[in-house]
This record gives sequence, C-alpha cells and structure tokens, in this order.
Amino acid sequence: MSAPAVVFDEVSKFYGEVLGVNRVTLHIPPGITSLVGPNGSGKTTLMNLMTGLIHPDRGSITMRGLSPRDPEHLMGITGYATQYDAAPRWATGFSFITTGLLLYGHSRAEAETKAWKALELLSLTDAAHRKVAAYSKGMRQRVRLAQAIAHEPELLVLDEPLNGLDPLVRAETIALFRSWAALGRHVILSSHVLQEVDVISDQVILIANGMIVAEGEIRNVREEIHEHPSQFIIRCRDASHIAALLFNEDHITEIKLNEDRMGMLVMTKDREQFSRALGRIAGEGHRIDSVIPADENVDALYEYLIGGSN
Amino acid sequence: MAVYRRGYHRYRGRITGHWTRFMVLPRFAWRRLFRQRLVLLLMVVALIWPILCAVFIYLTNHAELLRGLPRDFQNFIEVNGNFFIVFMRVQAIFAIFLAALTGPGLIAPDLANNALPLYFSRPLTRSDYILARLLVLFGLLARITLIPGLLLFGLQTGMAGGWWFWANWTLGLGMVLGLSLWVLVVSMVALAGSAYVRWRIVAGAVVLAFFFILSGASVMINEIFRVTWAHAINPSWTIDRLWCAMLGVEPPEGPGIAACAVTMGVTILLLLLVLRRKLRPVEVVS
Repeated sequence: MSAPAVVFDEVSKFYGEVLGVNRVTLHIPPGITSLVGPNGSGKTTLMNLMTGLIHPDRGSITMRGLSPRDPEHLMGITGYATQYDAAPRWATGFSFITTGLLLYGHSRAEAETKAWKALELLSLTDAAHRKVAAYSKGMRQRVRLAQAIAHEPELLVLDEPLNGLDPLVRAETIALFRSWAALGRHVILSSHVLQEVDVISDQVILIANGMIVAEGEIRNVREEIHEHPSQFIIRCRDASHIAALLFNEDHITEIKLNEDRMGMLVMTKDREQFSRALGRIAGEGHRIDSVIPADENVDALYEYLIGGSN
Repeated sequence: MAVYRRGYHRYRGRITGHWTRFMVLPRFAWRRLFRQRLVLLLMVVALIWPILCAVFIYLTNHAELLRGLPRDFQNFIEVNGNFFIVFMRVQAIFAIFLAALTGPGLIAPDLANNALPLYFSRPLTRSDYILARLLVLFGLLARITLIPGLLLFGLQTGMAGGWWFWANWTLGLGMVLGLSLWVLVVSMVALAGSAYVRWRIVAGAVVLAFFFILSGASVMINEIFRVTWAHAINPSWTIDRLWCAMLGVEPPEGPGIAACAVTMGVTILLLLLVLRRKLRPVEVVS
C-alpha cells in the first residue's frame, strides 16, 4: 500500500485579480517538506489551501486521503501553526492549549494530559500557568507550536516554525520534527532560513510568483538544473596537477585553486562525466582526500531558480 | 529520501460530539465575561426593574394590600400586555448597553490578533464560529430579558392561578418571541460592530450609535417631512411595533406590522452578510 500523501492537482487560487497560486501540482510524501520562496510567493496561500482555510478556484486537493472541504475530519488529523502570534494574551499557556484540545473533541482530563505533554516537549512547563502576555517572543513561538502538536496530528503544517527560538530549543524542535517524520507523518513547513531548510528537509518545494519552480529532494532538484554548472570542492595533495588533468575534460568550465594549493573549487556541466574523470585520476595514483558538492543545497537552488529569475 | 518506520497510528480514542465541541467557545467566553466587574454590575442593575415588576405582580395579586387606594388606581394596576410591554422596553435598553459592553470583546480581539485561522484550523466551520459568538451574547442578554420575563410570567401564573395562564398564554409566547427577536438583533449588531472595528471601545460606541443615531435620524426625518414612515429605520421603534402586535397592545402611530417585519428581516439579513463578509479565516486581498 502506498504511503498517504498530500496531493495538489492543478490547483489555482486567485484573490480577485491577484494571483495566489497558479496550476500547482504536487505530490508530497510523508517526511519533512519545506516550502521555500520569497515573500508573497504563495507559501502561506499553499498552507491555507492545505488546511482548508481557503478553497481553490480550480483543481483539487487531497490531504492524506481527506478533503480540505471536510474540516470535521481533516482538522482532527491536522495541526496548523500560522505565522501569527495569535494566542490570547489573557490566557495562560496551559489553558490556551487545553481549550484548543477541547475544540478537537478530547475530554477535559485527556486534554489536560495532552496539553501538559505538548508543553513538556517544548520546554514550557515552568511557564505553563503564566499568562501569555508575560511570555517572551520565543516562548510565544513555542506555545504557538505546542497548540499545533498537542493533539498529536499526523499532518503538521507550520508557517515559519523556527523563528524566534533560541539555539537549544531550535535544535530540540528540529529533532522533534525528525522523530515525527520518521514515524511516517507529514511535517510541512515554510522557512526563510535556507541553511536550516537544508539540514531539516527530506524534500523542498521552491515557489515563486505563485508557481512551483521545483519540487523534490534537494540533490535531485540540483541535478535537474543544467544551465548552472555544478560546483565541487576537492581536497587533495597535488592540486595543481589534478587541476591540469581536469582541464583536459570538456565538461569542466572553471577551476579555482585554493591559496594553500591543497584544494580547489571545480565547476562542471556534467556531474557523471566529472565523477568518471575523478575516478580515472584517482586510479592513476593521485590522492584525493575528499569531494564535496558545493551547491547541493537550498541556498544554491534558491539562487539559481528564484534569485536568478528576479 | 528518508526511510520511514510508519509507526504512527491515527488517534482512535473517543471524541466528543460536534455540539459539545461547539459549546467550548461560549462556555469559555461566558467564564471570561463573568469575571468582569462592569459586566456583573450592569447585570445586577438590569435586574432591579424585574424585581420591581415582581413586587408589582405581588401587589396586584394581594387585594388586601390595595385596600384604601383609589378605585381608579386599583383598576389601573393589572398584569396584562401593557405591563409586559413596559417590562420589555426597559430591559431592551439594558440589553443594548450590555451588548455594547460585552460584544466588542468577542470578535475584535480575534481579528486584531489574526486568531481566526487558529479557530478554523480546528474542526469548526465559519458558521459554527458565528453561531458560537451569537450564543454567547444571546445567553448573556437572555439573563436580563427572557429569563426574568419568564420568571415574572411564572410568578403571575403561580399567584393568579391556572385560569390566568389559559387566558393569557399568548402574552407569554409573544414575550418569548419578541424578546428573542430583539436579543438576536442586538447581538448581531454587537458582533457586526465588533467585526468591523477592531478597537473595542470604538466598537462599543458603534453599537450604541447604531441604535441611538438611527432613532434620532428617524425622528428628524419624520419631523422635517411631516411623515411617520421613517420610524421603520429605527430598530427600537420597529421592534416595539412588533411587540405591540404580539402582545395585543394598542400600537403607536406609524408603519404597519408588515413593514416593520420586513425591515427587521432585512436588518438581520444585512447583519448576517456583514458577519460572513468580515469573518474570513484569512485576510483576502481585493
């Protein structure tokens, strides 16, 4: 049986004459998926469509087999943390989350147990009975996350979930996302911190001007971008000699030698030929310590696919 | 691609029913409202008139206490349609003030905090949210209108006997329907004001202005053009006209019952449209 997926089929959403998203087709498997794109590119619109807060003008959406037009069932399995700091200031963190759980249909006793567990996961137990008004920005961010995860949803949609978190809580939260994803849940998040997206994501969705620019695992997406040469950092002893050998290859477009002559940055139009060439060079007895892709990350994808188009 | 253990199982425990979940919102809001001293104070003040009405009922049912008073006065004090109309008019004004005090706090903060997506990402629909907010105000205003009214009706029935009930049950029915309609309109005005103006104090002022400015405007138009139809734009007058018809009391001069019913219906429809337009889960660019 195939894993339950989030499926967008030719989805378009317009706000009057303003484009939200246009003809989006996606198939998101379980795991951590990051939505990446500039401000106003349509990330939040996609998230709102996923959670049924808005409905598409065209196309259809299925969230793990459920329709966003059926909030009664969909919201039972979905946790959504919007980008807004919307927790009421007069409520305590504990009462805010407990009330949310009552709305999901849990009994009071169960709601309190689950609320406490969520607060524990986000290191908020000490502040549980303090009013949200007295929380710091990071704590409000954590309570925002806690309300989304408290009912243990199988589909988490999180808009900028790591903003404002200190490094320790950030690391714990990322570990939490990973453990959920490993259980086969969906964790769909948006983030502007590209390095973080790189570390967290199983796959990325790059979006610009309401259209999907790329979708898939970072490496696969990178391999599909032929107009930008791939970059590799090579660490080796006789860099000058290896550079000279590499220059004989047609697919090599540029080589920058390190000042210490112990490494270089190589740009190639063909990753496979490059890999074969390196194998040949190593076979001839030249020592190559490491080969690291330099642009196999979201930062580079963003620059190639979105930054370049602007 | 990560390798998943697929160890997650969907929650299979018991889930409370739709209406139990729906009632979480009003219960939470009532608890908050009753913590506000001003709300409690206004509710206590609003109950003074019903207590005086109860004393009146007691007096009319104890002829021995009225002995010695002029015959005309003894005939005047009678529990009938006029008695209930006066009771309803006074309580209707308190309902406006209570709605202006409590209504803006129900929606304006949610809009100001962008909290609507938070509600709608629960198993709640937009209609549920509006209905829950209406219920908060309806429940609150009923405590100073419908419930005291029914208690007075019950008190009179208890003191006068079953014959009075069978002779006047239409008064009770008219009062319940009339007050329910008024409470509904006042609640919707308060919610619409709260949905339009995000600053609570201003939203409260808008609610008061809706009733008092329309009342003033209708009087001005009637005076300037020497007409009576402008009463129809005054919700207080319109409801009063409907109450008179429901309780069989001599109506004031002005538009007929049909015109008033249509005006009231259109007002409710417009208020509903305002609420549906303003209460969207996400801000929509137009």
